[in-house]
Amino acid sequence: MAQPKFSAPEIETSDKWEAQMRKGCLEMAVLATLWHGRMYGLEILRVLKRDSRLVLAEGTIYPILNRLRTEGLVQSQWVEAEAGHPRKYYELTQSGRYRATRMAETWTDFSAGLGLLIEPVLNDKKLERAL
Amino acid sequence: MTTTDKQMNDYLAQLRTALNGMTLAEREDIVEEIRMHIRERCSDPRTSIEEILAGLGPADELAQQYRTGVLVQKARHSISPVVILRATLRWATTGVEGFIVFVIAITGYLMGVGFLLLALLKPFLPKYTGLWVGPGEFSFSVRMGGTMTNPASPVHELLGWWLIPVCLVLGSLSLAGTTKLIQFLLRRFRWKVPFITTTHARPAMMVM
Repeated sequence: MAQPKFSAPEIETSDKWEAQMRKGCLEMAVLATLWHGRMYGLEILRVLKRDSRLVLAEGTIYPILNRLRTEGLVQSQWVEAEAGHPRKYYELTQSGRYRATRMAETWTDFSAGLGLLIEPVLNDKKLERAL
Repeated sequence: MTTTDKQMNDYLAQLRTALNGMTLAEREDIVEEIRMHIRERCSDPRTSIEEILAGLGPADELAQQYRTGVLVQKARHSISPVVILRATLRWATTGVEGFIVFVIAITGYLMGVGFLLLALLKPFLPKYTGLWVGPGEFSFSVRMGGTMTNPASPVHELLGWWLIPVCLVLGSLSLAGTTKLIQFLLRRFRWKVPFITTTHARPAMMVM
């Protein structure tokens, strides 16, 4: 079966939607990354890339961490590292842990509900590919 | 000093300058964190300083992301119309939603200031300041040529000296209501606000 042709604006809108969705998840992803303990900026970037395929522009993570800190969700501390230069480590505060928990629960409920809804879309797509 | 150090220091100097408006301690903390990021990335011999700086994006855009985040955070808790207007103005540069919120903010605050100004002007221009009603007319304003002592005129003033408390209440409600509404919108759309789209190259899965 011939693949439907999509116009440039449709693809652009789809890209925009995906970018907005990813932006919306960033805060939750960063808080979840810090769940098991403190990390520094570059380490968070690497974990996000490895565990969630969420690749951030390097310059994006630091303003986000700074904002989370001013919101009281994380706290930071400079620590002398073996690498020879200090690193600024971030860890979750009590508020941060609470926020991460709430976000994870909301995300799970939301994605489970939406998963049921989009299941037929994905099934039809698989069928089209098989044909 | 090596070329790498020079490029790094130039970048950090630009960042420091672009972070104006933040406290010295905040600025130095940010600059040091970015310096350590660059140094650590430089320890990988396969990565050039140009790639690292490109990954961070232009210094002024990086600074803008910091400033926007801090400004929006302040605005969520501030009752200062100046702070809130600055935050919405920054938001307005990022898209349609921000622009609409900015228009709401500016309209609400102008109404509030207008009511308070009328209350202040009433003692000085008692005959010309008021709530004017008449055929097709209902407005709080300074109206040259109107008079509060001639109710038979097609357009006449309705409130008299009651204008002062009425305008004080309406002005305060407009200012407070606008502040609360904008703070609600800043919280409601919190994930949309602090991000400024950057222009440097990115892979397909990257989030800016």
